[in-house]
Amino acid sequence: MTTYFIRRILLMIPTFLGSTILIFVILQMAPGGPLERTIQQLQAGAMQQGEAVGSVGDIMGGGSSVLPESALRELKRFYGFDKPIYQRYLIWLGIWPREIKHREVEFKDGATSAQKNVGRGNYMTLKLEGESVGVYDDKGVNSDVWKAAIDTESSKDGVILATIFQTEYSGILTGNLGISYTYDQPVTEVMAPRFKISMFFGLTGMLLSYIVCIPLGIRKALNHGSAFDFLSSVVIFVAYSIPGFALGGVLLVLFGGGSFWDVFPLGGFRSPSEVWETLSAWGKIKDQLWHAILPIISWSIASFAGLTVLMKNSLLENISQDYIRTAFAKGLQEKRVIWVHAIRNSVIPIASGIGGVIGVVIAGSYLIEKVFNIDGFGKLGFQAILDRDYPITLGFLVIVVVIRLVANILSDIALATVDPRIRFK
Amino acid sequence: MSEQQEISLSILKKRWLKFKTLKRGYYSFIIIISLYVLSWFLPVLINNRALVVSYEGELYFPVFSGYYAGSTFDQDVPGEAVYRQLDAKWEAEDSDNWLLLPPYPYSPYEDITVTGNKMFDAPSRTHWLGTDNTGRDVFARLCYAFNISISFALILSSLNYLIGILIGGSMGYFGGKFDLFFQRVIEIWSSLPMLFVIIIISSIIRPSFFLLIFIYTIVNWIGMTYLMRAEFYREKSKDYVAAALSMGQTNFKVMFKHILPNAMVPIITFFPFAVVGGITALVSLDYLGFGMPPPTPSWGQMLDVGLSNIPKWWMVFAPVSAQFVTLIMVVFIGEAVREAFDPKVYSRLR
Repeated sequence: MTTYFIRRILLMIPTFLGSTILIFVILQMAPGGPLERTIQQLQAGAMQQGEAVGSVGDIMGGGSSVLPESALRELKRFYGFDKPIYQRYLIWLGIWPREIKHREVEFKDGATSAQKNVGRGNYMTLKLEGESVGVYDDKGVNSDVWKAAIDTESSKDGVILATIFQTEYSGILTGNLGISYTYDQPVTEVMAPRFKISMFFGLTGMLLSYIVCIPLGIRKALNHGSAFDFLSSVVIFVAYSIPGFALGGVLLVLFGGGSFWDVFPLGGFRSPSEVWETLSAWGKIKDQLWHAILPIISWSIASFAGLTVLMKNSLLENISQDYIRTAFAKGLQEKRVIWVHAIRNSVIPIASGIGGVIGVVIAGSYLIEKVFNIDGFGKLGFQAILDRDYPITLGFLVIVVVIRLVANILSDIALATVDPRIRFK
Repeated sequence: MSEQQEISLSILKKRWLKFKTLKRGYYSFIIIISLYVLSWFLPVLINNRALVVSYEGELYFPVFSGYYAGSTFDQDVPGEAVYRQLDAKWEAEDSDNWLLLPPYPYSPYEDITVTGNKMFDAPSRTHWLGTDNTGRDVFARLCYAFNISISFALILSSLNYLIGILIGGSMGYFGGKFDLFFQRVIEIWSSLPMLFVIIIISSIIRPSFFLLIFIYTIVNWIGMTYLMRAEFYREKSKDYVAAALSMGQTNFKVMFKHILPNAMVPIITFFPFAVVGGITALVSLDYLGFGMPPPTPSWGQMLDVGLSNIPKWWMVFAPVSAQFVTLIMVVFIGEAVREAFDPKVYSRLR
């Protein structure tokens, strides 16, 4: 058993690498990436000032009047496009040195050495040594902090261009998801508050659907074929046929104060912070609930139908088993047979679904977040795609992938825990 | 029915007869099929172009032959003739010219640029479900979107089935390295949030109808593949396969002539639910703005307009109800098909 789970956890590694490589390649190969977008924005700015500008292609090829070549090099370095894609991926993972604190150095007219200020009055001496560049501090000792390399692409005849930089290993494996292009903050800092919001909705929604679905499923199974069963089946069919975000839309129109009743706010996680800060503790709870009711209903509807039917069918199947007949035959009370014998076996498939639910709860919510205008995790990821904010997009996808992989293992563990008959090999 | 006859009935026929007895599903099936067939004739049912125009002794067929400038019929409008106004004018003048409009004389594409159309017109006798943010008739768009949604879901599900049967079937049948390799691929694929991947791809290339189906198939084939793998894997170990192989049948024949018919129950019973998934996916993508290119009529796009303009309630209710009615009928069909093909004492979703 333990070996099985250790193997499963180890197998996560190739899957994780595979899916991140896939995402990385799709994003990096895509036209209209952040580099092109920034250039376009600069170009549009120049256009407004009435300057003649070339196309993006011209600028990328270096034939621009707006963007000095050094600025373009700077941009390329910032977005990491000065490296081949496999290096970019490895840097992003954190197992290839990331170059930081870039400075450019020029070797003019055949000079073989140059000095560069590296801050705080410290100078480094760079010496051309064939294909490579040596870096020496003021005492003439080879520096082990600063490194340098020749930029062959930008060097022209007569002038050799080199960059001096430090290196570090930092990437997702070291917990560094990069810095968001749009928010100008570390990705983890941007994500943390939004992740909490999504977790709040996800967990409450999940809890709520379990609280409703399990008893409902049991009641339906025990009264199979009754009027109650029929009526609740109708509700289930309706719930199954209406996607959560569409239901959210209908609820908003009905209760959001447009044309019908003005009961609930039109969206948002809670009242704006000016109002929120003035509320008492009880007022905060009320405000939070007032904002959360409609989204949570929409959230739970997705799993409502599936869970209830699963519970009902599972219980029905168990009730028709021989061991239940045996339990009745030996004279046990019906209550005891159902609640102690049958139900314990019936919750097994529900327990195994927990992992899947966690994955859906966290990743599958951006439609609802968009409808209710909640600044949650999913909406952040969605907006990042629109903004071509690659660090956030990649960070979002990595987190979702990890959560799903972990959730899969969790459901297996849950299954093995509630059902001692199951032994994975 | 005598015993003799009952034996001679094929199993498929028996299942069909059983399906017919399940009224809810059977009627849903009939309604959906007729509506879908009818929706292919929408251009003659819901359109702003006249079916027939008789002008000064000559007959014109704008629906079929297309564009006629207003000046053709001596109408003083820029661009194309406005047949509704023409009709009213000739009626009033009691002239010999006449024209025949489609039963619902609005097109899903004619917007505010056509005189007489208003933005966000509330539902009325002329515009049954009102108009949208650019003055287009909501009912007309709703009907056209029905055709597109169903077509999308049908083609998508069929493609998924094709891939699922080919790859999943081979995985289950041949096993070994092929199976292991695709298992890894499927595991990687299923760890990704698929709607997100589609959005990323769609944000790079603006998809057309078939491109969208193609993209969706690329990310969505795993479900069916997994189902077929399990099915083929189980059937492979049965005696009839061994018998067929010992008679020298090729692998291809064993897979498609012998195993596939035996794996038909999950294939058929899952289909309606695959269609439900396809319709929902299209609505979600359109709602997010990454589905069909505008101005294609779509429920998701209408929902988006409605949710940005909450007081215009019809813009939300109309697409949600259309989607809801369609989906619930497909779910009814699915439930009945399942009951007919794979009877159990209780109803199941999925």
